[in-house]
Amino acid sequence: MMTMISQLFILSSKGDHLIYKDFRGEAGNDVINVFYEKVTALPGDQPPVVMSHRDLHFVHVRQGGLYWVATTTSAGSSPFTIIDFLNRLAALVTDYCGSLSEKSVQMNFALIYELLDEVVDYGYIQTTSSDVLKNFIQTEAVSSRPFSLFDLSNVGLFGAETQQSKVAPSSAATRPIQSSRDQGVFVDVIERLSVIIGSNGAVMKADVEGEIKVKCYMLNCSEMRIGLNEEFSIGRSTLRGYGAAVHVDECRFHQAVKLDEFDDHRILKLCPSQGEQTVMQYQLSDNLPSPPPFRLFPTIERDNRGRLLIYMKLRCDLPPKSAAINVSVSVPVPKGCVSLSQELSSPEQRCELKPQSRSLVWTVPRCSGGTQLSAVFKLDVPGLSSASMLEVGPVGLTFELPKLTSTGLQIRFLRLTPVQPGPSQRWVRYVTHSDSYIIRV
Amino acid sequence: MQALANQLCENRQFGSKMTDSKYFTTTKKGEIFELKAELNSDKKEKKKEAVKKVIASMTVGKDVSALFPDVVNCMQTDNLELKKLVYLYLMNYAKSQPDMAIMAVNTFVKDCEDPNPLIRALAVRTMGCIRVDKITEYLCEPLRKCLKDEDPYVRKTAAVCVAKLHDINAQLVEDQGFLDTLKDLISDSNPMVVANAVAALSEIAESHPNSNLMDLNPQTMNKLLTALNECTEWGQIFILDCLANYTPRDDRESQSICERVTPRLSHANSAVVLSAVKVLMKFMEMLPKDLDYYGTLLKKLAPPLVTLLSAEPELQYVALRNINLIVQRRPEILKHEMKVFYVKYNDPIYVKLEKLDIMIRLASQANIAQVLAELKEYATEVDVDFVRKAVRAIGRCAIKVEQSAERCVSTLLDLIQTKVNYVVQEAIVVIKDIFRKYPNKYESVIATLCENLDSLDEPEARAAMIWIVGEYAERIDNADELLESFLEGFHDESTQVQLQLLTAIVKLFLKKPTETQELVQQVLSLATQDSDNPDLRDRGYIYWRLLSTDPVAAKEVVLAEKPLISEETDLIEPTLLEELICHIGTLASVYHKPPSAFVEGNHGVQHKGLPGSAGSAESESPDAVSAGAATEAPAAVIPSQGDLLGDLLNLDLTPPATTGPLPHSGGMQMGAMDLLGGGLDSLLGGDLGGSPAMGAGFGAPPAAMPPAFSAPVSGSLYDLFDLDNGVGMPLGSFCPPKTVWLPAMKAKGLEISGTFVRHAGVIQMEMTITNKAMSVMTGFAIQFNRNSFGLAPAGPIQVPSPLSPNQNIEVSLPLNTVGPVMKMEPLNNLQVAFKNNIDVFYFSCQYPISVLFAEDGKMERQVFLATWKDIPNENESQFQIKDCHLNSDAASNKLQSINIFTIAERTVDGQDMLYQSMKLTNGIWALAELKVQAGNPNYTVSLKCRAPEVSQCVFQSYEAVLKN
Repeated sequence: MMTMISQLFILSSKGDHLIYKDFRGEAGNDVINVFYEKVTALPGDQPPVVMSHRDLHFVHVRQGGLYWVATTTSAGSSPFTIIDFLNRLAALVTDYCGSLSEKSVQMNFALIYELLDEVVDYGYIQTTSSDVLKNFIQTEAVSSRPFSLFDLSNVGLFGAETQQSKVAPSSAATRPIQSSRDQGVFVDVIERLSVIIGSNGAVMKADVEGEIKVKCYMLNCSEMRIGLNEEFSIGRSTLRGYGAAVHVDECRFHQAVKLDEFDDHRILKLCPSQGEQTVMQYQLSDNLPSPPPFRLFPTIERDNRGRLLIYMKLRCDLPPKSAAINVSVSVPVPKGCVSLSQELSSPEQRCELKPQSRSLVWTVPRCSGGTQLSAVFKLDVPGLSSASMLEVGPVGLTFELPKLTSTGLQIRFLRLTPVQPGPSQRWVRYVTHSDSYIIRV
Repeated sequence: MQALANQLCENRQFGSKMTDSKYFTTTKKGEIFELKAELNSDKKEKKKEAVKKVIASMTVGKDVSALFPDVVNCMQTDNLELKKLVYLYLMNYAKSQPDMAIMAVNTFVKDCEDPNPLIRALAVRTMGCIRVDKITEYLCEPLRKCLKDEDPYVRKTAAVCVAKLHDINAQLVEDQGFLDTLKDLISDSNPMVVANAVAALSEIAESHPNSNLMDLNPQTMNKLLTALNECTEWGQIFILDCLANYTPRDDRESQSICERVTPRLSHANSAVVLSAVKVLMKFMEMLPKDLDYYGTLLKKLAPPLVTLLSAEPELQYVALRNINLIVQRRPEILKHEMKVFYVKYNDPIYVKLEKLDIMIRLASQANIAQVLAELKEYATEVDVDFVRKAVRAIGRCAIKVEQSAERCVSTLLDLIQTKVNYVVQEAIVVIKDIFRKYPNKYESVIATLCENLDSLDEPEARAAMIWIVGEYAERIDNADELLESFLEGFHDESTQVQLQLLTAIVKLFLKKPTETQELVQQVLSLATQDSDNPDLRDRGYIYWRLLSTDPVAAKEVVLAEKPLISEETDLIEPTLLEELICHIGTLASVYHKPPSAFVEGNHGVQHKGLPGSAGSAESESPDAVSAGAATEAPAAVIPSQGDLLGDLLNLDLTPPATTGPLPHSGGMQMGAMDLLGGGLDSLLGGDLGGSPAMGAGFGAPPAAMPPAFSAPVSGSLYDLFDLDNGVGMPLGSFCPPKTVWLPAMKAKGLEISGTFVRHAGVIQMEMTITNKAMSVMTGFAIQFNRNSFGLAPAGPIQVPSPLSPNQNIEVSLPLNTVGPVMKMEPLNNLQVAFKNNIDVFYFSCQYPISVLFAEDGKMERQVFLATWKDIPNENESQFQIKDCHLNSDAASNKLQSINIFTIAERTVDGQDMLYQSMKLTNGIWALAELKVQAGNPNYTVSLKCRAPEVSQCVFQSYEAVLKN
């Protein structure tokens, strides 16, 4: 009745064997190919989570374009635990190798084997904490890209493209944790927003899932204190006075976080381990403090030439100083739609008809708060009937809100003890992603 | 494939310092040769790089075992990095080179004493991984030391090593006393050591099911619960999984464990959360429901379950599969959380489908409006599979929540208006189910449905539409035209549609006989003469003969009132559900199958093979369930008349579930069966001799039956009747021996002994009346007092009087159950007044309740599941039957003789579980689960009944018949 990993392997997307480790001697390495055949033949509607081959069960995740696979023979094994573990392992490898790719795994195979030896013994998961592991790991990481502070291009927030990249040097956040040349701490507040707006404009559902991630390169930092908004409150019924209380329903903390100052001062205390950690996760359902960032006002009609006309007004309800970037509006269109012409309000906007997904995609690189964009789409649909008008919608939006949290959560301060000598960098970054933003028409 | 992959790997450069690709392109021999040289180099760096290259080759599947001696030579080094690499190599090749591996032993033993704890741990870990028998004897001493090492890192590694060694040589581990040392480690001061000791012990204990290795007592529990708070997250999972195996002594202990586990629910690691949920779900069973804490706990479980859904899609899927189980067991936990199961447009399809399923399970009158609005949106999405499931879900809502039916129907009509082909077809299939659940309520929509006749191209939708037309033929003016249009391509249709069309036209004929004679002739001849399908032919013949012999009977059979379908058609069997709840989080919870179904069991469970995929393991649609049920139910020993008739009535199209006891259907079906029987018997007799007799109202005789057909056909019909005999008229009815009810001394010389028996559906009171007096007795009469089930004589007692002295006579008195009712104590007590010419005598006797078990007491499988779940647990009682030496088949047959029907049978851990139902004449159903274990003469019967007072009597019947 417990989780035992029999084998663990990492494959490239093409099925090349990158890492293979057998913990329990229960099956041969020929199962690697069995797995690859199975996973590539899997139909899209089948859950890829657990696959079986005789007595062996494969559990896998995809991270960094690679397959991370564990096998088990024990019925008591928890796929949930294994998936969680594989994700952690991928994060660990990222921490140690700086970035995650086929190349970095290949270059650091000795390091990864060493890691595997420590994180799993005889199939029992031991630890995934980089703090514990740093005592054991001997191999130096080989960085796949020479580290340069001046490398400001291709900036990402742990993989996500943001405008903030202009502020924080990306390569500083993607390097092996073992390298000690430069000290720094990155604190990221990342929120994912799911919204459903009904056809009558009513907000039917608005959820935020958020997390605070800390990526730490400090060698001698014994304690880190992160101050959140003082008016931060947790729980569905707690009402702390009036006004702009920052409120979440549920909150979970990393077990290394000490909460003795949390109740009174909203301070998270932790002893940061090297590498990336999710310090806090939180959720908020419905009562969002601000209106949803986008509203859509569509009008759908048929013109006298039998074409389908879709007028769209997209209003951005963000505060005037903020902006959404990489906005993409996807509108399902009737089957058999052959061509599209459009009138857009500015040249940097684009619109494209995607016949495979039966939708048109309108992209807006940047949309400032308080602005309103309008567009007209004319679609040629042979044999357009009133029923096919019903096939238009619901509209899905994807976008990114840099420097903004939907819950209003802010980091008041970030203090390190002992006070770090020399140049140390502390970065606090905020971003909200659209997870699933649906406007029904 | 493999070759290609290898080729790719070979061309790839491995490691930054290995840019010189000649190692991978030169011939193998040269490559090995060069590596050998490098391994023997004096320079440490070069050695290290060489070992790395060896391991790189090993990973891509090349055989580098030839380098074994050279690599082992590098083992004696103080460079930890190099040592680790060498050990890595050793683990891989030691098994294929056992003799060589011995070479390394000395270094291992030496390393186990190294001052550096990292090296000690490394050595003991690696030694354990070298699965070579010879090495084990060298391992014992170092392992013993390491188990007592001062460094916890070494101790925890050693603890795991015991499990490794046990796998290679279990006897050695026992002889060396390592198990005791391991048990001591549970009390270790370091939680990491505790966790690994628990893991190792749990695994060893699994291979010794009867040992008390993991002897969980309150003291160890306390230690584990303490360690739980300090452990790493992964250690916590081990401990929680171990806790789940414990059985608390009482509800107080249960509560205190729950209290200490509850904080884990807010852990950041969702695997910890799920393991904690498992422990709580299990121990909650022990808590009394009226306890305040029980309510608190229920509330605490909801938020963490909701949080699990914020993870990656893979984790979400596993979480949803588990939530699906939890919702079936305790729907109250998540009843207010409907919104979290709304699908997101970017959810993968497998997550969407799971969410949909849970939404239906949570649907209730309170939230149905919300759910329907959501489902309607889903039905307009792009993904076809998902849209279909959404439409089906609307139908399930209508059937589940009666108040919503009207709204669901109008939603479905809206969807039909979209004219999207697959939406229309799905909608028609579910509307048919809605008609079955709420007959004569929504017929106004039929006109709309008929408009879409032409667009139906899927068999299921066509069949559903045809069923609707046939069922409501009298209200559809052009029903004959509609059906005729289908008839044109009869032979191109699938069997499902053909069968349906046959029945629908017969229904139409019975409803509008004047205009449709030609049509029915046509379909009967198509079905019987032009078809190769035996089912179709048999059905055709049955209708034909029925119509020709007795159209009135035909009407009663074909147009009989159908049982209603039940709401929940895909519930998991209650015992399986309980078992799965115990396996929350594990593979079983994802497959929704017990572990014995997919892992070679050590309990002698038959290996049933792995499911093709997790998704297909659970069928979503009611029809798929019915198909699954049909194939999975070998236990339905003999099909009951319900099945047979159901087939005739075309219930096979719909979920085979019937709700509760219907007052009419039972008797009706029996009656119909008799009619059929009588008519057909005579008909068949005549048929074999010459031309069939024709019903008066039925036009021209069919083109005389080809003689070649007659024999097999009649044969198959007799088969059907054999089945019926087996069920309806058990020949060897169980009959308890007679006992003396009225002794002669108390009744002036009249002695009555007797018993009760049920024969062919009639309850008989079998009596022996003896005259022990000196004078002749005459004028016998009998009367019953009011009793619990309204038993009364069906007629006067027939005694050919007078009865001379010392003469006895056997009398059989048929009884009915329509007499006045009064509850008796005991329930099966019967007070009788018996009169003769001398006096009136009173006596009381007890009848076995089995005489009241009706012949139609076989419940549909699905109804059984729903009913079992529905009856509160307080109504369940358990009994033991001792010293019974039947196997489960024999027991099932015996019980069937008193109309206790086995509905399903399952084998769990060597125990046969029989699920049985019986119906009393007054419509009370009793459900039973009979556990029979091979080699154990004690059976356990669990009875569930809405009227729990009958349980005791029912149990007596079980005991009586099984021990008879």
